[in-house]
Amino acid sequence: MLFTDLINSLITDTTQSIPRFGVELCLSATIVLMLLMRLSGLDRLIPACLTATVGALVATFLAYKQFDALHAKDAVVTTHIFTGLLVHDSFTVFFRGFLALFLLLTVALTSLTGIPDEEDSPDFYSLLFGATIGMMLMASANNLLMLFIGVEMTSVPSYAMVGFLKGRKVSSEAALKYVVYGAGAAGVMLYGISLVGGVLGTTDMSLLSQRLAEAAAGGSGGLKDPEVRTVALGTMLVMVGLAFKLSLVPFHFWCPDAFEGASAEVAGFLSVASKAGAFGLLVRFCLALSGAKGTESLMISFGLGLGFIACITTTFGNLAAYTQTNLKRLLAYSTIAHAGYMVMAVAALLVLKNSPQAATLTENINQSIEGLLYYLVVYLFMNLGAFAVIAIARNYTFSEEVDSFKGLISQSPTLCIVMLICMFSLVGMPPFGGFVGKLFIFASAFKAGEVHGFMYVVVAFGALNTVFSLVYYIRVLRTMFLEARPADARPVPVRLVSWESAFVVTLAVFVLLLGVLPHMMSQTANDAAQAIAQLPNP
Amino acid sequence: MSEEIQQLVLWLIPVAPLASAVITALLGPKLLRYKSHLPCWSALAVSFVCSLILLLKILPSIGSAAVDPGEIGTFAGPQVLVSGYEWLNVGDLHANIELRADSITAIMLSMVTGVSLLVSMFGSGYMSHDLGYPRFFAAVSMFVFSMCMLVLSGSFALLFVFWEAVGLCSYLLIGFWFQKPSAAAAAKKAFVVNRIGDFGLIMGIFLIWTNFGSLDFVTVLSDSARIAAVEVKNPGVIQLICFCLFLGAMGKSAQFPLQVWLPDAMEGPTPVSALIHAATMVTAGVYLVARCTPLFVMAPNAQLAVSAIGAATAAIAALTALTQMDLKRVLAYSTVSQLGFMFMALGCGAASAELVTPAVTAGMFHLFTHAFFKALLFLAAGSVMHAMGDVIDMRRFSGLKHALPITHWTFLVGAAALAGVPLLAGFWSKDDILAVLAEASHSKEHGLFFGVIWAVATGTAFLTAFYTFRAYFMTFCGPEKFPEEAGHHPHEATPIMAWPLRILAVCAALIGLAVGPTHLFANYLQKTMGLTPVPPESQHLHWGVMALSSVVAIAGIGLAWMFYVASPKVPGAIASAMKPLYLISQGKFFLDEILKALVVLPLVGIAKLATVFDRGVIDCIVDSIGAIPRALSSIPRQFHTGVVSSYAGFMWAGVVAAVVLVLTMF
Repeated sequence: MLFTDLINSLITDTTQSIPRFGVELCLSATIVLMLLMRLSGLDRLIPACLTATVGALVATFLAYKQFDALHAKDAVVTTHIFTGLLVHDSFTVFFRGFLALFLLLTVALTSLTGIPDEEDSPDFYSLLFGATIGMMLMASANNLLMLFIGVEMTSVPSYAMVGFLKGRKVSSEAALKYVVYGAGAAGVMLYGISLVGGVLGTTDMSLLSQRLAEAAAGGSGGLKDPEVRTVALGTMLVMVGLAFKLSLVPFHFWCPDAFEGASAEVAGFLSVASKAGAFGLLVRFCLALSGAKGTESLMISFGLGLGFIACITTTFGNLAAYTQTNLKRLLAYSTIAHAGYMVMAVAALLVLKNSPQAATLTENINQSIEGLLYYLVVYLFMNLGAFAVIAIARNYTFSEEVDSFKGLISQSPTLCIVMLICMFSLVGMPPFGGFVGKLFIFASAFKAGEVHGFMYVVVAFGALNTVFSLVYYIRVLRTMFLEARPADARPVPVRLVSWESAFVVTLAVFVLLLGVLPHMMSQTANDAAQAIAQLPNP
Repeated sequence: MSEEIQQLVLWLIPVAPLASAVITALLGPKLLRYKSHLPCWSALAVSFVCSLILLLKILPSIGSAAVDPGEIGTFAGPQVLVSGYEWLNVGDLHANIELRADSITAIMLSMVTGVSLLVSMFGSGYMSHDLGYPRFFAAVSMFVFSMCMLVLSGSFALLFVFWEAVGLCSYLLIGFWFQKPSAAAAAKKAFVVNRIGDFGLIMGIFLIWTNFGSLDFVTVLSDSARIAAVEVKNPGVIQLICFCLFLGAMGKSAQFPLQVWLPDAMEGPTPVSALIHAATMVTAGVYLVARCTPLFVMAPNAQLAVSAIGAATAAIAALTALTQMDLKRVLAYSTVSQLGFMFMALGCGAASAELVTPAVTAGMFHLFTHAFFKALLFLAAGSVMHAMGDVIDMRRFSGLKHALPITHWTFLVGAAALAGVPLLAGFWSKDDILAVLAEASHSKEHGLFFGVIWAVATGTAFLTAFYTFRAYFMTFCGPEKFPEEAGHHPHEATPIMAWPLRILAVCAALIGLAVGPTHLFANYLQKTMGLTPVPPESQHLHWGVMALSSVVAIAGIGLAWMFYVASPKVPGAIASAMKPLYLISQGKFFLDEILKALVVLPLVGIAKLATVFDRGVIDCIVDSIGAIPRALSSIPRQFHTGVVSSYAGFMWAGVVAAVVLVLTMF
């Protein structure tokens, strides 16, 4: 190939790729703009939160335009962009829209509660936007290297955001712990990537399954083949890295400390967005290795392993949440438990997809991804709602302890009712969105039980944990609704007609709508699932 | 009429009252206050107009296309289906909400919305000084919404939801004056007794689900071959389903022995008695049985039970009504008795297959006319109560016909219609029922059975005329007497109360004549799914039955006149002569006491035992289960030391475990 040909093909590739990369570019441009404004002192005139809001709005609008096209059947054709480093399909678009919307909501929340003060806000928003770009890359990665870059691009700003409350000892300590584990997990993951990539001779994720099948067919063949075993080991290590991001037991230790140390806004962002990105990546990675001839039983084992981890994680998270007195810490454990529920969907996906009957189960395979996506969307609204209530109340009480919420109903009924809706949805009670999400996930895990009986155990664990989780959520609600507000408690006068109320009520309305009108979202999620599983519904 | 307009019309019928309920509940106490009737009136007017459009315009326009009389048994009739929204579609679970309207629905809707509109107008006058004014209208709107949804439901599941919803509204309205202990107790009683019926209903629904695999009306009811197949597969199951459904109907429609709640329900405001406990909600049971005719046809024993229970209820309630002194209670027992008439008719299909459709028609026709004259009677009684300062004991007032002229003549029309005076509404429908019963008594198999039922029905018709006019004569004739609570000048109903009375009186007088002998009602109703239209040549008027029922009615009225106007000493003499019988009637057959001894006391005993068990055993178990997570949660806490190196250690151990697992497993 001539050099000019190479250049030419790169130019055409890039020009074709850039329009599909608009959202990320817009976010990058906003970062540059904020930093330039800080340099030139313009941020004194135009506050950074305004710039950030505008940037997030434009990004959301762009993402929405792509997202809207999902409704038209086959509107998004799967294309590899940037020489195959990233992939652009309905799944990517779904996550892009999801993350952009979440970014917008987080920016709105931070400007309401004013958590980065004016001096620091350009830095804060740069970190926030940077992390979001990283998550988008995670969800669209098509190359093992992009996988790593995406994870790191998300992690590094996250460390800084956790420690953003300078001068608070807890905050710095949390950030430090986070960095240490993050670094460790990244090392493990990188090692896994090099094993997989080295043995299979490619880092292109769309080729992995084919190469794996070749490796399984050649040599001594089957699962005893050293190459296959090396790949299995590498896969395991990559999953450990992702398990760190998803805070699965036993890689979750950073999570409660980080959430307690970080401000509620950051904790809300991390609990939803970084999970979402990591789940996008996990699904892509699992599917990339699935369906290779000769290694199905290996992948089913991975699925069951994930199911096992899911059981441990939900149980552990729910049990630990039981005795927490700090709300952020309580929600951190609840986040761990919810990650467990969502991993059940991935486990079901792996088991179904690699089962001998996979051809007849396409609808269920799609449903497992659909359930995960639906749950993530619901989780966005309900978890952000809970964290937002905490953040808003904190601005009045300067405390995030459960006790500081005693009898809040008498002063801010709106906040309390939003909290009630969010928590009931977190438990999974109809008619709120959490119920529908759980139903989708449990239904697909139950279906996977037909392939391997262990998945029934997983469903049973999920159901039992749902009951357990009720206890600690209700305890918070009881404190808010039934106990008397102590006379010396600081008042929380959040009125119904205020920006704060409008924000949390909007979130609560979405939680309710997602429960009452599941079709609003489930069809889109199903389209995205079909695109990534490359299995049209029968 | 285009599809969209049909959808809109059908949706507006329930949604308008719902909107009114929400608006009144939210804004009523602070903003609307004594204008709270406005949303309710406008919503009910919208619903009523939409129901009429459905009844007169939409269904007939479909009817011409869909009627296919050739296929008997799979005839689905004209219907409008509006799928509301699909809630869930996971695996085999499809939870949808859809509205379905056919002839029987349209008739019920027009009746419900029309009567409730008039009652709500009356109510705004009647309740005008009540502190709970907004609450009243919010609850009434909610009730109309639930009732409309009940009859619009396209499946048993949705029907059950709104079956419970009307029960809830009824509870709220019986206990409207919850400060009164008697009202609170009556509300509780109604709720609890209805639970027994609801148990039957939900068992029936479960059985339908397991045997038919669907709860959709069309799937379950429209195909008689399928029902027969289910019966062949599981002999006796259809009968069981029918008994269960009928138990539900017995609770809601106050049939023996579950009728005890209805007379007590008169503790609620009188407009509520008129609307819920006379005209609409209590007929839901009749509607259910009529709707499920295709199932009942397959279960003759269940039909015989329906007739027998109906007859027993009608007779017992009529005998009880003879001696009651509370005007509203007389009307309440008469409602129970008339509901018994409707059930008597519904069971006649057991006699022969040709009788199924006329039987359902007769029952539904009586339901329809009854709604008008009974609502009228209750509202007139409410007007009496309003004038008498909330006194309703007939011994304490008399001769009101000059003081309350409008109330007097409207009550007279209603009473005459109820008694079955020729040409008035009740005459036609009661005559239909008697005719169907008479025809059933000629059948070979169950001739004797239906002969007895027919005799009971005729006797009860006589009693009906008697006690109705006893109440009329005691209230409006004789020397003029007012209780002290009424003050010096009892005031006649205000225009807002008088006009609904007049309109209802006109309906009670004419509606039977308009749609009965002309067969308009029958022809319309028989297009319902599951019914076989009766060909026009075999529709005729039953002159013999008519003559007999006229004689019976006139005789009852005459006897009442003799006893209570001509020679007022006679009743007292008879009562003392037949003291035991009199006491049984006055004591309402001691059903409350019997039920208390047979059901309530054992239940209380069981409840006490259960409490001991609950406290001693269950609570212990639950507490210890509750302690488990608390105890277990100390385990995760052990790991969270906050020390970086220990965290790292656990993580390292996790990685090593994973690696070892992979290396050893394969």
